[in-house]
Amino acid sequence: MDADMDVPMHDAVSEQLTPTITEDVTSNNDNNSGDYQDIDFKPGSSGIADNKSSTPLQLTPNNINDLDKWIEQLGRCEMLSEDDVARLCRMAVDVVQFEENVKPINVPVTICGDVHGQFHDLMELFKIGGPCPDTNYLFMGDYVDRGYYSVETVSYLVAMKIRYQHRITILRGNHESRQITQVYGFYDECLRKYGSANVWKMFTDLFDYFPITALVDNKIFCLHGGLSPMIETIDQVRELNRVQEVPHEGPMCDLLWSDPDDRGGWGISPRGAGFTFGQDISEQFNHTNNLTLVARAHQLVMEGYAWSHQQNVVTIFSAPNYCYRCGNQAAIMEVDENNNRQFLQYDPSVRPGEPTVTRKTPDYFL
Amino acid sequence: MSQRPDNKKFTRPEGINTIQIDAARQMHMRTVQARIPGGGTTTQSSTSQYKIPQNALNGGEPRTITTGRMFSAPSRSPPARHICNNPNNPPCANCGGVIIPSPKAFLPLEDRPSISINNWTISSKKRPILNAEELNNWETKELRGLGALPEMIFGNNFIRIMNTEHKWGIEFNTLDALKMVSLSDSGIRVAHSKVWLDSKLQQQQQDIMGDSSSIDMENSLKIVKNYDWTYSTEYEGTVVGDNKDTYSFKVDNNLKLPIDKLSKQDKILYFDEMVLFEDELADCGVSMLNVKIRVMNERLLLLCRFFLRVDDVLLRVYDTRVYVEFDDNVVMREIKKYEGNYNDILAKHHISHSHDPKAALRDSNWVAENTPIVDKRCEIMTFNDLKQ
Repeated sequence: MDADMDVPMHDAVSEQLTPTITEDVTSNNDNNSGDYQDIDFKPGSSGIADNKSSTPLQLTPNNINDLDKWIEQLGRCEMLSEDDVARLCRMAVDVVQFEENVKPINVPVTICGDVHGQFHDLMELFKIGGPCPDTNYLFMGDYVDRGYYSVETVSYLVAMKIRYQHRITILRGNHESRQITQVYGFYDECLRKYGSANVWKMFTDLFDYFPITALVDNKIFCLHGGLSPMIETIDQVRELNRVQEVPHEGPMCDLLWSDPDDRGGWGISPRGAGFTFGQDISEQFNHTNNLTLVARAHQLVMEGYAWSHQQNVVTIFSAPNYCYRCGNQAAIMEVDENNNRQFLQYDPSVRPGEPTVTRKTPDYFL
Repeated sequence: MSQRPDNKKFTRPEGINTIQIDAARQMHMRTVQARIPGGGTTTQSSTSQYKIPQNALNGGEPRTITTGRMFSAPSRSPPARHICNNPNNPPCANCGGVIIPSPKAFLPLEDRPSISINNWTISSKKRPILNAEELNNWETKELRGLGALPEMIFGNNFIRIMNTEHKWGIEFNTLDALKMVSLSDSGIRVAHSKVWLDSKLQQQQQDIMGDSSSIDMENSLKIVKNYDWTYSTEYEGTVVGDNKDTYSFKVDNNLKLPIDKLSKQDKILYFDEMVLFEDELADCGVSMLNVKIRVMNERLLLLCRFFLRVDDVLLRVYDTRVYVEFDDNVVMREIKKYEGNYNDILAKHHISHSHDPKAALRDSNWVAENTPIVDKRCEIMTFNDLKQ
């Protein structure tokens, strides 16, 4: 019985482990157990940020040509070569490092939640919300892990970000981190698809530069997780040093991890880490900062979106049929020129040629 | 964008308009309906081969599903004596196929396969996770007191084994499993809990020293709502039926499940597997309750497994197996519990898994094999013994 059926395994053999199969795996991979110890946790080890520019990247016809080619290739769900990923990440650093911790965004814009490597559903999202750059997009993190196409998904979004810098914003989610991606699939997928951890290192080094929050028309505060007891005003977010691995504690950690709760005030999760915030906190924060809404992602909801705290907070989740088995809808939120908002809910994409109904093979479990 | 005007409908006018785009759902429904024999009419088929109508997407010739190729045939073919109760599912050995629930819960869609052998009827149901309304009902009524419910609750799923003659059965469902989650502190903390709490304490002290009144941390360092956030459940199934109080299991730890009989590759007539609930523990591991069942001509085996991994802290597997011998009307239930330190078990991985050592810890079979057993119990029930 697989526990994390959602996490793609590196090979079919180890998914159905039996003592006898185990032997085979060992003999085929005798030197691989050392890989894990060799992982360089040190930020910056990929070298993609070694020659950072002091000015934002200006697109040249050559760059545009490459980017368009990459976007087209990735749009077919074909991954880039390792060299191209290196170039992509270097260019991306010179775009996102100049964005503010609180990225100002104009309306109209379409706000999206978790994607989690569900590449085909991301394509469906662009179909439903309208193609970029005709439609402006704001993504609130969690592009990788869980789904089968984290590499293609994050490469595509980063390529779009460089190509259409002012049309698309990609924030950091708690899964855009070295530690989480090692457990939930992205690290494993990079290793499987590229044969080494290099691409994983490049992307996780890039993630350190992603902005952590956005402010839509000074009215909607957007971020992945939620509020922090150490952040009362949006100006305090502006003062944070965000270029680092997502820390285990502190305001930046809270912004990417916390959840709204029915209970008032600040709560500590019984897990022993992580805050929950109540309606009084949300109301106070919105009042202090003259906001109408906090938009966040981070939590799965059956309908794709969910209100909490009497419409002071909205959760948006954009991975339909999460983990390929939850049966949930996804949603995105459109905010128009006049600040009117509406949700678009949608189902998983239906791909021609792929069966929509899968069958489970009976197994002689004991 | 062209598809939107055609497929939109407005729902839930609370505050903000919602447009539901259901082109994919409609297409999926058509695909699924196309699979039903006779274009959706529900007459029972008795033909020996079952032809699946191809949907428009796949094209090509109709495929014939036979399952004999996939499994080694049993040594002797017993006469077929079972009945398929749900014609949506491909017909069974009377007709040549394995009953496997289908379609899987891929979109909000229901399927209820069922089979009867002698006076035993086995049925199961799979649905998507609870919607907002159902969730609210569970939070405020059914499971009041449980701080936060698991992220994914397949609350309408179940597997039921029923003896229609004796009106006694055993069922595995989500709600009853979650009702057994403790409402007190589990004592378990995530690996980085100490770092996290220490930093809050420090912050608190600084605030007091600097007389900062900006952040009220006075009460914030206490965990206000205690419950077992790992959702550990010792659920062993729910006994159901009019005579649920008439018959009872008797503990006999000398008994063992008949592995020899269960190891035989008897043809599987019915197979289902489902998650009842799952939580990612805020990305600190996984907690999951899973049930699967296989029904052969003479017996069945069900495994309900609770699997918990708290990264860098601990691993836990609670297995409940139910075994029924149809002709003898004997039901056995075996409970095994495994628990161990995360790093101790991780240390055993090195010979067994390839480049990603943590893959071992995602495989509950591997974990159960490599984790110390802490508790074991075996029970038996026959319809001869009435409850005292």
